[in-house]
Amino acid sequence: MKKTQFIGYVSLLTVVLGLLMLADLSTGSVNVFSIQGNSQLVETILYTIRLPKVITCVLAGSALALCGLLMQTLFRNPLAGPYALGVSSGASLFVAIATMLLTSIQISGLYFFGKSMITLFSMVGAFLVTLIILFISRKNKSSVTVLLVGIMLSQILGALQSLVEFMSSSNSLKTFVIWGMGSVSSTTLGDIVFIVPIYVISIVVTYLMVKSLNAILLNEHYAANLGIKISMLRIKVILITAVLVGLITAFCGPIAFVGISVPIASRLLFKTSHHTHQITFCLLLGACVMVFADLICQLLSAHMMLPINTVTTLIGSPVVLYLLFKSKFNMQ
Amino acid sequence: MIEIEQLEIGYRSKRKQTSVFKGLQASFQSGSLIGLIGDNGIGKSTLLKTLTGFLEPLHGSVLIQGKNLATLSFEHKATLISIVTTEKISGFNLTVYDVVALGRTPYLSVFGKLMPNDIAIIERSLERLGLASLKNIVMDELSDGQRQKVMIAKSLAQETPIILLDEPTAFLDYTSKHKLFEDLKTLCIEEQKLIIVSSHDIDLMQKYMTKALYLKENNSFEVK
Repeated sequence: MKKTQFIGYVSLLTVVLGLLMLADLSTGSVNVFSIQGNSQLVETILYTIRLPKVITCVLAGSALALCGLLMQTLFRNPLAGPYALGVSSGASLFVAIATMLLTSIQISGLYFFGKSMITLFSMVGAFLVTLIILFISRKNKSSVTVLLVGIMLSQILGALQSLVEFMSSSNSLKTFVIWGMGSVSSTTLGDIVFIVPIYVISIVVTYLMVKSLNAILLNEHYAANLGIKISMLRIKVILITAVLVGLITAFCGPIAFVGISVPIASRLLFKTSHHTHQITFCLLLGACVMVFADLICQLLSAHMMLPINTVTTLIGSPVVLYLLFKSKFNMQ
Repeated sequence: MIEIEQLEIGYRSKRKQTSVFKGLQASFQSGSLIGLIGDNGIGKSTLLKTLTGFLEPLHGSVLIQGKNLATLSFEHKATLISIVTTEKISGFNLTVYDVVALGRTPYLSVFGKLMPNDIAIIERSLERLGLASLKNIVMDELSDGQRQKVMIAKSLAQETPIILLDEPTAFLDYTSKHKLFEDLKTLCIEEQKLIIVSSHDIDLMQKYMTKALYLKENNSFEVK
């Protein structure tokens, strides 16, 4: 891809993202343009409700798309993604366990301690599942088999989560169910301050791995022969995926289909394999998809929030199906 | 160029080690095309993996330009030896150009940015194997013979004095096989490379190779 072409696409995606964010900021149960004379109210609605939500969408969408891209490259499997392969379920189960532990020992009042514990648990859950998937994908070369195993794993983890929920109090159960549908509206500006540094560090580290990620597209043997330390790369990718999926899942719940479909769509749209390009496109496109999904939720349901997973699934799954049926990807 | 001394090759796991071949002794010079000949399972691939550094020798050593292969860093090895395997490379929008460009990996910064010098080398490697007109084609659309050539072009772009090819004729028809060996022979002479090719196609090899290493049963071997 030529440099001018790359800059062109990036500018286009940035403009689209900006417009989507503005549209999302101005949509909601209250029409902010119709409130006159009460600037205090408008400020409250924009700064404490809508802005954190839009920023959360941008962070969650881009982070999950990035994780999808990293998993697809590392496993050389175009059907990999944090939700499809059960990584999000792993994070969810551990969030459920953490929440139950915290409510039972009555320290949930300590806000930041509680949030950090839940996030840490979530990351550990994501990490363990990513390790299992790595192990399976090294034993089994077929992309479709790995996907099936991932789906089974999600089911098992989901069942275990139901078990945890079954044992928890009715109060925390309600929180679980709503959180489980995926929500971007419960994060505060304080949470965002907590999320952003981890997010930025993960992205910087990812950009520093571009050369290795490019080389591993051939396969592990060729990459090793090109001077890449495969075991190092594997550890870094798994850590970044676990940290980001854990982080996003802890705050937004398991978000469906963004991680798997955005990198696929980005490859189909921009026809490039170079990771400097792919990482940038996935970050922007992931953010666009998530903000768009939230916008649709707002437009479809004026007074009640439609779960964002309903929309991301409806947008994301056709992309995956298209790949399964149409493309020339080698699915062996 | 390569000196193999009392080499024992095989696989090592935590619990046990499996010896495939032992007592191997040979040395090869640059500018020659070496045939590595033997029946299936005798250890040709294991030897190539050991020479690339994927596997560590169970015993003995491999010296390249006088340096022990086992002591070299990953990056350094990547500038000395390149390998072409039979594994199919496809998907992820990889074009012929992309794959050949990846040959430059050992010389690039962490961002993988190609410098004018790298681009010139890539273009020359494509040219050398007659792939210039195919450079924007994705790998999925190539024939087996073309794929093989792309991987050899990648090895050329990697600028290693030694190139190893594992069963390169496996998927090729009669004419393509001869064409491939003619290309390899020319490369050896013109670029002064040491090329080691494994195959069980003895007749074909005998026509082109400078020297052959025959691996036989019971750890016996012959260099001629």
